[in-house]
Amino acid sequence: MTENLADTPIVKTDVAPPSLAVRVWRAIAHFARRSPMSAVWGVIAIAIVLMAVSAPIIAPHDPLKSNFRTMQKPPSAENLFGTDQIGRDTLSRTIHGSRTSLIVAISAVLIGTTGGALWGLASGFLGGRFDIISQRIIEFLQAFPDLILAMAIAMALGSGTTTVIIAIAITRIPFGGRVIRSVVLSLKEMAFVEAARSLGASNLRIMALHILPQCIAPYLILATTHLGVAIIIEASLGFLGVGIPPPTPTWGNMLSDALNAGLVPPWWLVFFPGAAITITVLAFNLFGDGIRDVLDPRLRGSV
Amino acid sequence: MYAYIIRRLGFGALTVFGVSILVFFIMRVMPGDPLTAIFGPEGMTKLTEEQRLSYMEELGLADPLIVQYFRWLLDIASGEFGRSFFRAESVGEMVLRRGPLTAQIAILSVILSWVVGIPVAIISALRPNSVADNGVRFVSIICLAVPGFWLGMLIVLGLLFGFGYRAPLTGAALFENPITTLQIIIGPAFVLGIGQAAYIARMARSSLLEVIREDYVRTARAKGLSGQLVVRLHALPNALLPVITLSGILLGFVLAGSIPVERAFGTPGLGYAMFTAVNERDIFVMQNLVFLYAVVFVLLNIMVDIIIAWLDPRIRYQ
Repeated sequence: MTENLADTPIVKTDVAPPSLAVRVWRAIAHFARRSPMSAVWGVIAIAIVLMAVSAPIIAPHDPLKSNFRTMQKPPSAENLFGTDQIGRDTLSRTIHGSRTSLIVAISAVLIGTTGGALWGLASGFLGGRFDIISQRIIEFLQAFPDLILAMAIAMALGSGTTTVIIAIAITRIPFGGRVIRSVVLSLKEMAFVEAARSLGASNLRIMALHILPQCIAPYLILATTHLGVAIIIEASLGFLGVGIPPPTPTWGNMLSDALNAGLVPPWWLVFFPGAAITITVLAFNLFGDGIRDVLDPRLRGSV
Repeated sequence: MYAYIIRRLGFGALTVFGVSILVFFIMRVMPGDPLTAIFGPEGMTKLTEEQRLSYMEELGLADPLIVQYFRWLLDIASGEFGRSFFRAESVGEMVLRRGPLTAQIAILSVILSWVVGIPVAIISALRPNSVADNGVRFVSIICLAVPGFWLGMLIVLGLLFGFGYRAPLTGAALFENPITTLQIIIGPAFVLGIGQAAYIARMARSSLLEVIREDYVRTARAKGLSGQLVVRLHALPNALLPVITLSGILLGFVLAGSIPVERAFGTPGLGYAMFTAVNERDIFVMQNLVFLYAVVFVLLNIMVDIIIAWLDPRIRYQ
């Protein structure tokens, strides 16, 4: 049973399935059996997403409201993570920070990685001059370390959530493009593409119906890895002062505020936001590793 | 070999040209007024239209974009790289003054990453799925998730509270004052080195695992060579090729990673200058620094390609 499932491609359109719920449940059970460790981190990742969604409900205090009687106090029963220089509750700010962080990371990946992947699909499949020009443009984009490119774009467009999303999304394009293009290059030589073409299918039809489904596994693996990278870039931009501007709490600008406060930042203002970044990135990375191992073990190390 | 090098350099020149256009495009064709950086959003409202135009004229921002672009290329050719809005120093001088510190940090971090990453990978690869292997993999996964600048802040705080120690803040020349310099660069180099070591260990492990299954390794063992010698003479040299490539690429990312890390440590290197420029919205400095970082990144990639081609004849004869 297990071996059968392992060989099953994730999208299978021709076999009548038992029902969607059953299939999803089976896939989850299979995932948990194959890599229990990743399943645990997957649960943590989902918990972080839930935390971000329900931030206003679970945060004990208003993240923006300062309280001048409790300024820069160490962790206590009232403020579990302590308070910052103007008496805002660090726990509530950290919880709300997950919101910004995830919104930015998920949108950046949805726009950048997906855009890059589709571009890579088209350029790999169509080939010719389009492919050569695309490759050059991607090379130009890849000539920058991603943080520097994101900094330049974020600074040029001026600070704001949309700007940061665009800046990070652009840095994701070349990676998505490269990986998917190489997958497509090997796919398009396969017999089923030739068969479709001999039946008179158009380029668009072959790309959408025959090539695209095969790209979903590498795309999912890429996207989960990119989530972690995007979270770190977002935090770095916030830390460098070109991210989402205060007072909106983000993990990056909380760390930056801590450093701006004085010569010696209080430990709780440094420790908690950074720990939040680490745990979130760890959760997405390990979840991604698990997805990769289950979907396509051959890609280990390549994405 | 020479043909290969020339071809790589040719493509590199093309990329640098593309990069210059891209940087110029990002920095100049952006919404918002560059003068806001100097006068601030409030000062801008007090500026009359004539004053604004004369300032733009003075800074050369009123000319057509194509003229500005070629003027910039001339600035690059002269080695001056334009000037800051706020400082008398040209960007070229700034790079010469602050660059060495960042370069030392980068090089030390690469050395650290090899010293830590390679032995760890060998231990891991020789006994795959053992306790040691799993431990190493788990630690490396954690290292990949920890943001370097946060680790840096924690180290600064820890040293201060634990030992009352703070690294000297003044800039220092390597040869005049080696101890001070080392104290300044060791922190950032450690943080950046650990991050790279995780990648290096991962890559070296999987590469070694692949090489160990090759026929020539089996032959070496069959003719009676000891396990240690097989690894050292046959497996490792071949397994290290992809690690060298990775290390070169990582070096470029280290230059970028050193920006937040230098801020966390307060290191007066080029990364800190980048942080300052971005906060002052100093587009001239940013434009030139971003361009320079990209050029260094491209050159590093070419260098790595040439080294690999030199080490592996299969590549250069393709």
